[in-house]
Amino acid sequence: MTRQLLDHVYSVVVVLAVFFVILKIVAPSPDAARQSRESEIAPYLDLDILDYSSPLDRAILKEALTAYYPGEPGRGDSLLSAIDAHRREAFTNPALKAGAEKPGLTPRTLARLAPMYVQFVLLYAVVLVLTVYGARMMGTFRFIRTQQRRLPALLEFLYTIAGARREIPLPGRITHALAALMRSLVNGMLYALLFSPAYVIAYSFKSHMEGGAYLFMVVLGVVSNGMLVTSANRFYTFLVHESARGYVDTAIVKGLNASYMWNVPDGLPRRAILRPAGASRGHVFHHIYENARYLYIPAVKQQASFLITGLVIIEMALNIQGHLCYELMQNILYRDYEVVAGIVIAIFLVVKATEVMVDIWFIRESRRYENANA
Amino acid sequence: MPMRDLGSRQRIPWLLVRLTRLVTDSPDRLWAGLWILGIGALWAWDAAFLNRPAYLRLQAAFVNTMAGATLTVLFTLVLGWSAGLVLDSLSRRSSRIPYLLLTFTLSLIRSLPQIVGILIGYVLLTIFIERDIVRSTYLHLIWTALLISVFTFLELTDLLRERIDQYRKTDFFNAMLCCGIPERRIINVDVLWKNSLAHIFQKLIATFGMAIFLQCSIDFIISVGLSMDVSLSNFPPTLGSLLASLDSKQDILAIGVALGRPGYAGELLFRHLQGISVAFLIVFSLVCMYKISNGIVRRYRL
Repeated sequence: MTRQLLDHVYSVVVVLAVFFVILKIVAPSPDAARQSRESEIAPYLDLDILDYSSPLDRAILKEALTAYYPGEPGRGDSLLSAIDAHRREAFTNPALKAGAEKPGLTPRTLARLAPMYVQFVLLYAVVLVLTVYGARMMGTFRFIRTQQRRLPALLEFLYTIAGARREIPLPGRITHALAALMRSLVNGMLYALLFSPAYVIAYSFKSHMEGGAYLFMVVLGVVSNGMLVTSANRFYTFLVHESARGYVDTAIVKGLNASYMWNVPDGLPRRAILRPAGASRGHVFHHIYENARYLYIPAVKQQASFLITGLVIIEMALNIQGHLCYELMQNILYRDYEVVAGIVIAIFLVVKATEVMVDIWFIRESRRYENANA
Repeated sequence: MPMRDLGSRQRIPWLLVRLTRLVTDSPDRLWAGLWILGIGALWAWDAAFLNRPAYLRLQAAFVNTMAGATLTVLFTLVLGWSAGLVLDSLSRRSSRIPYLLLTFTLSLIRSLPQIVGILIGYVLLTIFIERDIVRSTYLHLIWTALLISVFTFLELTDLLRERIDQYRKTDFFNAMLCCGIPERRIINVDVLWKNSLAHIFQKLIATFGMAIFLQCSIDFIISVGLSMDVSLSNFPPTLGSLLASLDSKQDILAIGVALGRPGYAGELLFRHLQGISVAFLIVFSLVCMYKISNGIVRRYRL
């Protein structure tokens, strides 16, 4: 455990060291580039006779420069682009506005970003807990359905309309076919929803996002970007892997319940989907589930990393003001790389903290099993 | 009804039996077929009902996205394979320092959220474009594919190392060494090519889906909020950038309207075709890649 924790500490130390080097490189030297550009264009900006928004004045200046510097045909274009950039920046660069914050990681910027960071971490924690629980639930549901060896809903519908369900009386057969068709449609829509990128779902319901839409963001974080379905698939893989182990056959031979049909004497109750461990005692699935749950713990690290990606996409793509990743995007846009590096490192620390916690959780669980076996 | 109850008491159409076999035995083939069929049907529908300029834009965006995802898969294969072999070789050397350094670097990449890394790479691209280092518009696609592959190749590396380690423990490996076959050949040809191809293929299909998702997301984000310094008209259109256009956003908003007013659903297929087509192409491709990847696992019992 100590070794694993040390690994994490080393990586955090190395990344922080790299971060400080990057900060030194990208720290805003009082706008050296802008100052040099402005000293170049300053004489032209002082010319009151020119209106740079007028195409005629611009053409006159360009021609004058071409005549004055015949060997440098591109000089006029370069100068006009520099003037345009300067004029645009005067409107768009928040650092140039009256009362604007100084660029870089100033205490004021940090104080503004801190609540956003806390909010981001809380959002992340809630979504992570929900997805871990949701993945287990969905994985369990899929595993039980597979063990029940049921036909997929669409095939069931096709079989029914093809006359392969003659044991059902005719009116019931129609209802049966329609129910299967409905199930199939709902499944299809669920898949579409679960695989939709967050922005597709979000823009289907709202044309504009505002701050404070936390519940909406939590829902998006859980259901979108294929997050839940991919994690559930991983958990399902562990369940399948465990169900093929020798102890399962031994347990069945020893008389544990082994039917996966709902609500039959040796089967599983439906509530086993919501509470797989609690509701399946006395059934072989209980042991399969407990072992799969243990194996799944390290996979939470991968899930956490992908979840962060999903949350960053949600906050950036939806352009929600007052959120950490919106700030990240704005600072990339305004080239304030010191703040960008700060936010990136803060996000990195969230991932690292999750990895540390997952490692501790896994080691504790391992010890519990070791003690139980001793 | 449980599948085992489908006895031979009733005659079941031949086509349905074949379909059932396809679903149970090789779902990857079924979903690959459905993907091609779905995209073909959409292409025909759009050719009939979507206006010509939007149709051409959509076609270009789809081709560019698929080309980008394919490039990502190629880069992932090269990076993943190389990293797997290098790690395997370093892990058995007496000096542990190079091995520890490489695993440390890889674990750092793992800890950096993919999208943040790709965004930083995008900032570099804009700087290159501004300084006229990058001129070809298609370099954007190659650059994005390379960036995405930096964050996807690790899973392939893990898989390859796991396969090599597994085979290294078997008698087969030692027997081949005794026969004088070079270790490099055993690993590359006998372990990875002959005995792990299905595993690698499955991972690459999953990477293809992930590449589509990340590329669309990054292009969407860039189009929405990072388009001040470099004109996006210089970049080849992708599904993500097309989705971010105002027309497409309004089309997607119509889905929500149709959910509230089911009578409006028909309009989606005619009046809001551009946005709906883009969203369909992204979501349908992601679902199909997931299903194909799972189907391979099922068919080859991986």
